[in-house]
Amino acid sequence: MSQRKRLSNTQSSSQNKRQSSSSVTQEEDEDATFTQPSTSQVQRGLEKLTPAQVDQKTAEVVQYFLMKDQKKIPVRRADLVKYVVKDYRTIYPEIIKRAARTFEQVFGLKLVEIDPKHHMYILVNNLETATSRAAPVECPTNPKMGLLFVILSVIFMKGGTVKENLIWNTLKKLRVDPGQKHEEFGDVKKVVTDEFVRQKYLEYLRIPHTEPVEYEFRWGPRADAEVSKARILEFMGKLHEQDPRSWTQQYREAHATQNSS
Amino acid sequence: MRRSKAGGDEDTPRQNGSSGRRRAEHGDGEDAGVDSCPAGMQDEDDENDLGLRREIRSKYRDLINSVQQNREDMLSPSNNKLTEVLEEANKLFKDVRQAREAALDAQLLVVATDLGKEKASQLFYEGSAFDPTAFAEHLLSFMGLNRLEDEEDDHQNEATRDGYLPKDAWHRLAKHTEGCFSTAPSFHYMMGSFHAEPPPPKQRVERQRRVPSKEAKRIMPTQLKKMEESHQEATEKEVERILGFLKSYHQDDPSSPLSYYEFVVDPNSFSRTVENIFHFSFLIRDGLARMYLDDDKLPCVAPVEEGEMEAAGSSTRKQCIISMSPKIWKEIVETFEIRETIIPPPETQNE
Repeated sequence: MSQRKRLSNTQSSSQNKRQSSSSVTQEEDEDATFTQPSTSQVQRGLEKLTPAQVDQKTAEVVQYFLMKDQKKIPVRRADLVKYVVKDYRTIYPEIIKRAARTFEQVFGLKLVEIDPKHHMYILVNNLETATSRAAPVECPTNPKMGLLFVILSVIFMKGGTVKENLIWNTLKKLRVDPGQKHEEFGDVKKVVTDEFVRQKYLEYLRIPHTEPVEYEFRWGPRADAEVSKARILEFMGKLHEQDPRSWTQQYREAHATQNSS
Repeated sequence: MRRSKAGGDEDTPRQNGSSGRRRAEHGDGEDAGVDSCPAGMQDEDDENDLGLRREIRSKYRDLINSVQQNREDMLSPSNNKLTEVLEEANKLFKDVRQAREAALDAQLLVVATDLGKEKASQLFYEGSAFDPTAFAEHLLSFMGLNRLEDEEDDHQNEATRDGYLPKDAWHRLAKHTEGCFSTAPSFHYMMGSFHAEPPPPKQRVERQRRVPSKEAKRIMPTQLKKMEESHQEATEKEVERILGFLKSYHQDDPSSPLSYYEFVVDPNSFSRTVENIFHFSFLIRDGLARMYLDDDKLPCVAPVEEGEMEAAGSSTRKQCIISMSPKIWKEIVETFEIRETIIPPPETQNE
């Protein structure tokens, strides 16, 4: 399907070149407001610009990502092009490639496209988490991550999909009532079903054909990219004083996904 | 198909306790309508065990509610709650006579079936099953729950409502689970907090309010001054004043003609003389005064009477120009031996 889309987007003259082009061009192909420039177009665009200009634009893109990442809301390609790349859109693939390189080499971060259809990007820590714990700088912990951990764990341990009531009931047992204002999280329901969802940690979906309406939770694409199932299982094992391997199915899933990524 | 329907029905009351109860009551209402038909026949029976009927219904409702509220606990594989509930329902069913109670029994069955289905789904797991209740309990201990009143609360089945978590409970959990997340550390500003969003536009409202009030203040006084100093008005007043003098002189002595020069010339002021001539010309123009030459060919003036006005208007008009210079003015004053003015200067100017 992506093949067909790609063909329809490109001009026939540049087709041969495109097929041999790097993965960057393949990453984003369909967007209502923006058509991916072909490699030859990029080449032509680069010839018109000085290297300093391209570096400057790349730096702006990097800054935009860092600012947006403060709230952990994914960056949409359409916004990126509209607010930052602007006139440089002909060389967009080159700029995003350079920005990704900067994140990897300078910041130790990885630029991940979590939604190839709507072209959304996030930043993920690329360094080994175990070593980053030993970092001399004490990062302030965000208690919301604890809340998120509980929800993601329950979803994972329950096989990937969970009715919302199970989540609310579990949280209630942890003294977090979605109907009441929590001193740490404020409006819990909003944090879980709005903030975590917009950050793409969670998906909050309506279960079809239910009357009255019922919702279920799943892992969002950011959780898939950021959260290690093996480590969750490890923590579970410690918590329950149980061998993580005793949860056979979860153990298999956790280690299957880890190898693939 | 059948199973999914049961699940849907069950979902209604499980949403929260109150809606479930409302549904039950609604059901009662419908059943009451059905009951009313054979009411005549069963009247005595009904009245005898009305209390029993009520008791059964209330027990059913309690049972349904308790299943809905404690659903997650009943799912836990470590207890036999579901069996207990079903046994309890079986006991109640012995006394069920009316459709109303039967409907409640059916409703309980729907709830219980869904629970059973969920319990069965737990069997699919290989190895250990995951129990969210146990998980929550472990987490509470991990976060440092203070379990003072744990034992007293045991009968409630629900996880201990008493006991409290330390303030840093969630921080503690977040810290220990950080390793599971490879979240990119977000940068923050070194010099205090700074919001990335632009501040809301606020000033615009004030600015718009201030401008019109200032302008209104500036315009008002200038308008008033203009009204009072209007040249048009001053001239009109002066013309009327002069007409008044002319009339009064004429009345004092209607037979003797009034010399024009004696009337308008002010021996003390040339400019006043010119002003008088100017103002008098309006009287002539409006036909309120007339000018004629006496036997010595000297100009004389007289007011025009009311009746005469129309006749004068129809007669052909004549125009003449009077010139006056300081030299002529002095000659006139000397020749006519004018000592004082007939038209005194207006009082406002004396002030």
